[in-house]
Formats: sequence, C-alpha cells, structure tokens
Amino acid sequence: MIISVVSGKGGAGKTTLAASIAQIFEAEFYDLDVDAPNAEYYLQPHFSSKVPITQPVPVFSAERCDGCGICTKECRFHALYKILNTVYLTEPLCHGCGLCKMVCPQQAISYQDSSVGDIRSGHSRRTNNTVHVGDLVIGSTRGTYLISEMVKKIDPEKLSVIDGPPGNSCAAVAAIKPADLVVLVVEPTPFGFHDMQQTEQIVQQMGKKYLIIANKAMGDAEVDKFFRDKEKTAALTITLEDRYHKANLQGEILSQQFCEIYAGLRQVVSQELINR
Amino acid sequence: MTQQIAILSGKGGAGKTSITASIIKMMESVVAVDADVNASNMPILLPHTQQSTTPYFGMDIAQVKHDSCTGCGACLNACQFDAISQNEAGRILIDSDCEGCAACAFACPENAISMVERKGGDWYVSTVDNGYLIHADLIPGEDNSGKLITKIRSEASALAKQQDIAYIVIDGPPGTSCQAISSVTGVNLVLAVVEESLSGLSDYRRLAELVQKFSIPHYVLINKAGFSVEVEKSIIQAAAEFDGKIIGRIPFDREIPTALQELQSLAEMDNYRGVIAELLEQMTSSLNH
Repeated sequence: MIISVVSGKGGAGKTTLAASIAQIFEAEFYDLDVDAPNAEYYLQPHFSSKVPITQPVPVFSAERCDGCGICTKECRFHALYKILNTVYLTEPLCHGCGLCKMVCPQQAISYQDSSVGDIRSGHSRRTNNTVHVGDLVIGSTRGTYLISEMVKKIDPEKLSVIDGPPGNSCAAVAAIKPADLVVLVVEPTPFGFHDMQQTEQIVQQMGKKYLIIANKAMGDAEVDKFFRDKEKTAALTITLEDRYHKANLQGEILSQQFCEIYAGLRQVVSQELINR
Repeated sequence: MTQQIAILSGKGGAGKTSITASIIKMMESVVAVDADVNASNMPILLPHTQQSTTPYFGMDIAQVKHDSCTGCGACLNACQFDAISQNEAGRILIDSDCEGCAACAFACPENAISMVERKGGDWYVSTVDNGYLIHADLIPGEDNSGKLITKIRSEASALAKQQDIAYIVIDGPPGTSCQAISSVTGVNLVLAVVEESLSGLSDYRRLAELVQKFSIPHYVLINKAGFSVEVEKSIIQAAAEFDGKIIGRIPFDREIPTALQELQSLAEMDNYRGVIAELLEQMTSSLNH
C-alpha cells in the first residue's frame, strides 16, 4: 500500500502532511523531492546507510577513437561534443541511453557507472519506521531517474508514504505512478488551485484513487469558492494558523503536536484505506 | 545591454512568484519571464494580454511502422528506459516513458522505427502595462526539460533587445535541478527568496551552492519571518558563508495571503510597497554601478 503526497505548487504542505500521515500510520517514508529534500527535518531519522545511485555513462577509448564525431551528431541530448579530435561528455545532460556506443564505428565507447545521487536511509523514532531520502547531485537532469530507482525499492506489501516533488512534470508522474492512493494537497489560493488542478488531471489520467486536502486555508468560505464547480471537494481543510506555522518551521510534525490534525488526517486517510 | 535578474528559492512556496510579480509591477519597463513552466503562476497575478501562442516540441518520441515491424524485439533490448513493450500478439508498443534517445530506431534491423515530434506544451508572448510577459504551459506530465526554459529566455532576450528594454526579470522554478540551471545561466543577479524555516534554509543552501558554481552574485530576501530568531540567524549565517547579501526581510503577515487571494501583490499593499521599491533600487543600482 503506497500513499503519494503531491500538490503541483511548491510550499502547499506536501512534506508537512506526508510526515504527519507517516507518523499517524507508522509508515515507511520516501522523500522523492530529490532536488530539495526536506522531510528529514520533520522525521529526524538516524541515518545508518547511504547508497549511491548510478547510471551508466560513456567513456571513450583514446586509442580507438578516431574523432569521426558520429556520436556527437547522433546524441539527441547534446551531451557530447568534439574539440579537435577528442570527444567530451557533458555528464549532467547524459541519459545513459547507449546510442553513442551503438553508433560508434570504432567500438571506442564503453559504459561506466557514474553517480546521479544517493539514497540515505535510517530509522525515525517519530514514525517508528524507516525513512529514505533521495539526494540528487545539484544541477543534475536525472531527477526522474533517481525517483524511479527509489520507487523500485518500495515494498508494496508494506504501508509507505511518498513525499513527491513539486510541479507537474514527469518527475511528479514518477512519484504518482506507484501509488495506491494519492493525497493532493492544495493551497486554496489562485496559484495553488491552478497547479493542483494540473496534478489532478495527471492523477485522473492514470486512474488513481485520490483525495484532496486543503492546507493553509484562510477560511472555509475561500475553500468553498474554489471547489464550487468541482465534482470532488476537499476531504479535509487545515486552516492557516500561526501555531501550525511556527511548529512547522521548527520541524515539528503537526499530527504529533495538534490533536485536531491527528484526528482529521487519520479519519480521511483511513477511510480511503478501508474503501480500497 | 540588457540586465537579467532571476528570482529563485530552492524551496517551493517561499514566495518567489508573489515577490517577482511585486517587483515587476514597480519597474518602469521590463520583460518578465515565468520559468516555472510546469506550474506557471505569474500570468495569474500579472494582468496581461496574450499576443501570440507557439507550440513547443520537446524530445521526439519513437513511432513504430507496424507494416515493416517483424516483432524481432531488437528495440526492446536497445531501450534503457523500459518504454517499449511487446503484447501477446507480438505488436511493439511505445509508452510515454520514451525519452526520445533514438536507440531503438538505430537498433531496428527493418528501419521500422522513426522518431517523430512530440508536443510538450505552448509558450506565449503577452503584453503587460510596463512591458512584456513570456510564459509557457507544459502539458501536465511531460518532461520538464530545461529546453523550454532556454527557449523562452532567448525569446525574452531578443524582445528586450528589439524593444530596448533594460531589464529581464525571471521567476524561477523551485528546486535545484537542471531547470534551475536553465533559469540562472547567464543572469547578472540572483535574488534568493528564503522562507524562514528549516526547510527553507536547507533548500537555500543547495541553491546558493548552485549559484556560486556559476559565479553569479546573489541577494537574499528573508520571507515569512518573525517566528524563530534561531532559524533567521542560521539563514543570515548561511548567506554570509555563500557571499549572499541580505537585502530585506518580510514578516509572516496574514494580510499578504489575504491580498493574494484577491490577486493583489505586495506592490499594491501600503505596508510593503516601500520594501519592494527599496529592494528594486538596491538590485538595479548594484547592476549599474
């Protein structure tokens, strides 16, 4: 059973609510916001392992390469370039597709593993379970790859919570793909609503079961206004309150600090778990 | 010579877009770029009139000519992205995980695979009161390549040059991946909007590292401040470590999200107009000295 928490807009409260859900249900946790991972500030795991994630990238044999440049022309990611008769790789652009090796008439290219990031894992006393955090090499294009590699490690038999990346690109899709239940966090502002609807479109296209939680709401009237013409409304509304904000910015888990959040989240999520 | 300012945060929701829109509204003339192409919000906050729409094509996608395909499966072995499958009838299927590398097309002994264009979204040129807004919508779920960001930024540069506009202001995407890089390469100044929280601090550090790599000077605006002196102190320390200059501080104030509900930016709020003007003044004078 995998629960993915996504929002479209950044800062809507994905990590806040994902950490709370994991705390309530003592779930295993995967921080897949790999280029800005923050869940560890809430979950405070005691990291005990760090596993490098690699992808194969081309290396060129100086003896064999005659500088014909076919590989640089064929590479669709513009990751290869040639100066005089030497071919160079811009590694952050390489997708590891293997085409350069296939097209090289001199068999001068082989593939070697190179790091795209790490997965740190450790036990959290706050969730009483394991937390895995993906750290993408800064500036890398391979975020979606790192997410997919992390997803492969999830045991679907166990209850796991995924903290997804912001946005609505393929990285978000990769974080939604394994989910049995998607929690869409919406900040009820014109921005938040706009971005959430794009995410909702992805979730619907993928045929995923989902629920919407409105977070940082100014009041019920605002939330109602946004959902007026929609088929699905927010299952739970969490208001914008100074005490929540303060606890949050100091790395407290809201469900641990505030019983109304504990009770509210527990109810709406477990209802979906039972209805499966 | 056009000067470019990029506004980023690392963390999402730190206030990039509202700060950017506020700054833009207070400028004499500007070309604004919304580089957060897969959650584009600037058009919501900035009144604009759309002038043109251009389709954006990302990476190509593989297409099978089923007449020529013998179902040999060579493409299945060539694909590193698990984007190709073969159904029970032997038919080869390409799914949306295709990254457009063309390895399958090369591997196919029958030349039955060709690479075809794949629409990734649209980009727009709009006019605003004091200049232009260039923005884009990625089709939800498409690859958020830096290519589209690079495209709209080059359009912005051309437009600024043609219209003799001195400043380009870029609203960046969250995160610190290639999209962030596409948004900062070649800019003259970065404004980092840092939310006063542990997450905001952590993401700022990643962003500052990236900005430093490109040797771009940066300013730091602390946002949603006033709850934790400790966190704020850590942000100030981190900024010093990365040569970031603290340029301002905006408190956590419910009036701000309330105004945003009505699509009012800080530029329209009496309490904050001065802060934004000061911010703008400091940035432009540092660019021109």
